[in-house]
Amino acid sequence: MKIKNIFIVSILVLFFSNSYAQETISVKEKSWYVPDYVKTQFAGNIGLISVGVGYQLFNEVLYSELLYGFVPESASKADNIHLITIKNTFPIFRKEIGENLTISPIAGFTTTLDIGTNSFTTLPSKYPDGYYFPTAVHFTLFGGALIHKDFKKPKIFKGVDFYLEFGTVETYLWYAITLKEVDLIDVFSADIGVNFYF
Amino acid sequence: MKFLKVALLSLVFVFSACDHPFEFSVYEANVKSKQQNTTDKNLKLLESILVESKDFKFAFISDVHFFYDQLKTVINDINKRDDILFVIFGGDIADQALLREYEIFHDIMSSLKKPYLTVIGNHDYNNNGAIIYKKMFGDYNYSFEFNNNKFILFDDVVWESDKELDFDWFTSELKNNTNFNQVFVITHIPPNGDQFDDELEQKYRALMLEYNVPLSIHGHTHTYNFEEGDVSYLTAPAVKQKAYNIVSVKDKSFSVELIEL
Repeated sequence: MKIKNIFIVSILVLFFSNSYAQETISVKEKSWYVPDYVKTQFAGNIGLISVGVGYQLFNEVLYSELLYGFVPESASKADNIHLITIKNTFPIFRKEIGENLTISPIAGFTTTLDIGTNSFTTLPSKYPDGYYFPTAVHFTLFGGALIHKDFKKPKIFKGVDFYLEFGTVETYLWYAITLKEVDLIDVFSADIGVNFYF
Repeated sequence: MKFLKVALLSLVFVFSACDHPFEFSVYEANVKSKQQNTTDKNLKLLESILVESKDFKFAFISDVHFFYDQLKTVINDINKRDDILFVIFGGDIADQALLREYEIFHDIMSSLKKPYLTVIGNHDYNNNGAIIYKKMFGDYNYSFEFNNNKFILFDDVVWESDKELDFDWFTSELKNNTNFNQVFVITHIPPNGDQFDDELEQKYRALMLEYNVPLSIHGHTHTYNFEEGDVSYLTAPAVKQKAYNIVSVKDKSFSVELIEL
């Protein structure tokens, strides 16, 4: 199963990226636009798999990321789905749980734009004004936990994050809150991801 | 790694507790197998209903969008009435046509103790809705017979469907009208609705007249309207208003009732 493979690979990368780290490299001043980390995420309503870059902003108060997400036909049971996402994660606090190892509860939101053909951001001209609300943009809300590991002698990556989140989409959350017939637990789903710092 | 254990345990919990442990996009069309082919399943249920007399009643509800609580109220009321034999739903099952919306509708309708049949609405075509509808329910155009009456469910969504209305199929279904006591037509958009231009409206009304359709039933406008004539036109209120219609079919006539809860 594809999904299982992705899950296993992510976990293997997390555990074995350590063993490749050997010599230290000199720390260079980065330009502002060079990202702090690269990342990949599985699920979370922003693609079966999404990849992107992230920035730690305001003294690591906000992790802001730009992601491209993809859902293949085989999983969507429709056309391939392409999504562009801005994800904002706030680590609520950091707790040391081992050598160079911290855990943080996290919360945040994403804004996702569908760049496929089935949705629209501006109403097509065949419809009267206000016939539909734009369907291409969705928001997700999530909370979870993130484990951060610093590598002492980094060769490629200085550190790695592994996170698990539970999230939902704005429409689902609205239904769950306002309607008796929709339960809150039913609208949440899980996602996992890794960040590699360089 | 105690924390990894906690994380994995939480995953196991989510897998068992949620309908969808992982979701990839709101636009997914991955209809659960037990929710597929609903039209066929309900047509089979309908076959098992035997009527002694020529008279029977069916309910017509339409335009749920996301008013699921009101839908539940309507369904509960219909369940209490033994004289209603089946339910026809007039479209706009979903609002954004997301799989989740279709699933919530399907779950609530599963509490209905009678067979139900649907016709597709314009909202149901949004995003990947057309694919979801096809998988969850079945054909956009279909017909069935009940107690020697014919019911034709015709997809007349113009703008969202991006295809010509299949009048060839529609006409061929109307042609054997004389074999039945009466022929009822159900479409989402009424001929005087916003998506029909004058030409289309005339074409539709002429067909109804030519094939002696006594009643043409619709949704879409969210307002109850009953226009009596050689061909009568009924548009049902939206589910939001906790209201629906009951059609009482007799040998060669019918009557329409508005139920407001």
